Amino acid sequence: MKKETILLLAAVLVLPLVLRPAIASEIWIFAIFGLGLNLLLGYTGLLSFGQATFFGSAAYVAGWLLKHYGIDVFLALGTGVFVGAASAALVGYLCVQRSGLYFIMLTFALNQLFYFVAYQWTSVTGGEDGMPGIPRPAFLGIDFREPLPYYVFVSALFLLSLWIMKRIVESPLGRILQAIRENEVRAEAVGYDVARFKLAAFVIGGAFSGLAGVLYAMLFGIVPLEAIGFVTSGNVVFATLIGGSGSLYGPIIGSFVFIWLSESVSTLWARWPLLLGVAFVIVVLFFRGGVVEAWSRFWSWRSSKPKT
Amino acid sequence: MAILETKNLSKAFGALTAVDGVSLGIEAGTLHSIIGPNGAGKTTLFNLLTGTCRPSSGRIFFDGRDITGTPAHRVAHLGLARSFQRTNVFPAFSLLDNVWVAAFACGPSWKGLLWRRADRYPEVRARALAALADVGLADKAEWPVREISHGEQRQLELAIALAAAPRVLLLDEPAAGLSPEETKRLVALVRALKGRYTIVLIEHKMDIIMSVSDRISVMHFGSLIAEGSPAEIQRNPEVRRAYLGGVAA
Repeated sequence: MKKETILLLAAVLVLPLVLRPAIASEIWIFAIFGLGLNLLLGYTGLLSFGQATFFGSAAYVAGWLLKHYGIDVFLALGTGVFVGAASAALVGYLCVQRSGLYFIMLTFALNQLFYFVAYQWTSVTGGEDGMPGIPRPAFLGIDFREPLPYYVFVSALFLLSLWIMKRIVESPLGRILQAIRENEVRAEAVGYDVARFKLAAFVIGGAFSGLAGVLYAMLFGIVPLEAIGFVTSGNVVFATLIGGSGSLYGPIIGSFVFIWLSESVSTLWARWPLLLGVAFVIVVLFFRGGVVEAWSRFWSWRSSKPKT
Repeated sequence: MAILETKNLSKAFGALTAVDGVSLGIEAGTLHSIIGPNGAGKTTLFNLLTGTCRPSSGRIFFDGRDITGTPAHRVAHLGLARSFQRTNVFPAFSLLDNVWVAAFACGPSWKGLLWRRADRYPEVRARALAALADVGLADKAEWPVREISHGEQRQLELAIALAAAPRVLLLDEPAAGLSPEETKRLVALVRALKGRYTIVLIEHKMDIIMSVSDRISVMHFGSLIAEGSPAEIQRNPEVRRAYLGGVAA
């Protein structure tokens, strides 16, 4: 097994021992969300400021079905993945028509549109109060209402998601998306329909966001309005950049840093986002590849030092 | 028979007519050069041929088929590949991956697009390596782009076009910005490709043009003002006037 795999499995095992299982679950859920964004941001070079659209839509739809129709866990996950992908297809179709700043603003504006629908449609979403009372149905006699079994479930899904994403980025599709990031004009000239490929990245990223959205709803038993708000969209961009958008593992590290800081430091110090701000400035100024780059630079610096 | 043909092709940008009623026929298997002073509309003509821009009027035929208005990514699949005047590669990739992307695009199938590992396509890899070998870069296949010289980047530019296994190759100033030594190497390269592909060449350096071309078309202010063999073009008074601005005419 490779070093990354071992580290990751170790983290999955150790995390619920050092953190509350709910927080540990949240880290992996947010990591799935980050993986989806990173296909757009890191691999295709598209900064989407509207990922919460897919995360929130999936959480609401699957949450509604869980709450009112008592669907089982896997149907809920399937619904989430589908809603995430479908909403991303819709939003992506409109956004890929433009590039650069206009693209970013479109993802943001459409996110706001979805947000206000959720805000106004109180009979379904509960508006500002959120949609509470989402159950965690048992599966094969395993009671997911207990935090630890649910953690095992979430981390297994996270590992599955990571494996799928790894396959995707190492496939021809992954390479074509990177080619689009590197040089859109040339990618088009050698024979790729750039808009279609960007849309594909959106749909795949949306499916991951949707999965994360449902798991999130089941974790807290509620879909808060913020789940579909631009702050959530910003947070996932933030976490991914801190971790390192250029690599597969960046968003996972970013998610860990982000959730851990927000859950542990926030209880000690209400102005904790200040810390995040500082971390972000350091990353942007010195380590554009995030924690992943800082880490690899540290090791190459260590190994290049003559032994005394 | 002409493999690539334009009929009365025009492209206007506002008040400027960059390409003005160009009717051109490229015979299969030849090396046909297009020359003209800066701003004559040569690159715009390439952009029209490859579908990067839509013509304002006129038609384009490839192998007898009307391809006017076909988008660039589909033109590539028809067998029309181009190189760019300014080096236009994938900077973070290795040379092999640069060429691989083009070879995969025009490969026989996209099976496994989402799932098979990109390095498990031996036939695509073989074609990519062959294209690199054609331009003399096979030994640097694994190098990153930023570590090769400008001259080698121009060769890579050519390899990306070749990897698409095209029927017609459009080369936009392949020797732009090269030293005399590098230019010599590139000319030898183009000469070696001649006969294997139908080539349309835009170039400024007259010695190159005169030594490699079968036919030459001359553009001036968007229009074709002359066409003929290299010897005919050299004698043509109108061409001399266009190039020397009337001073020596």
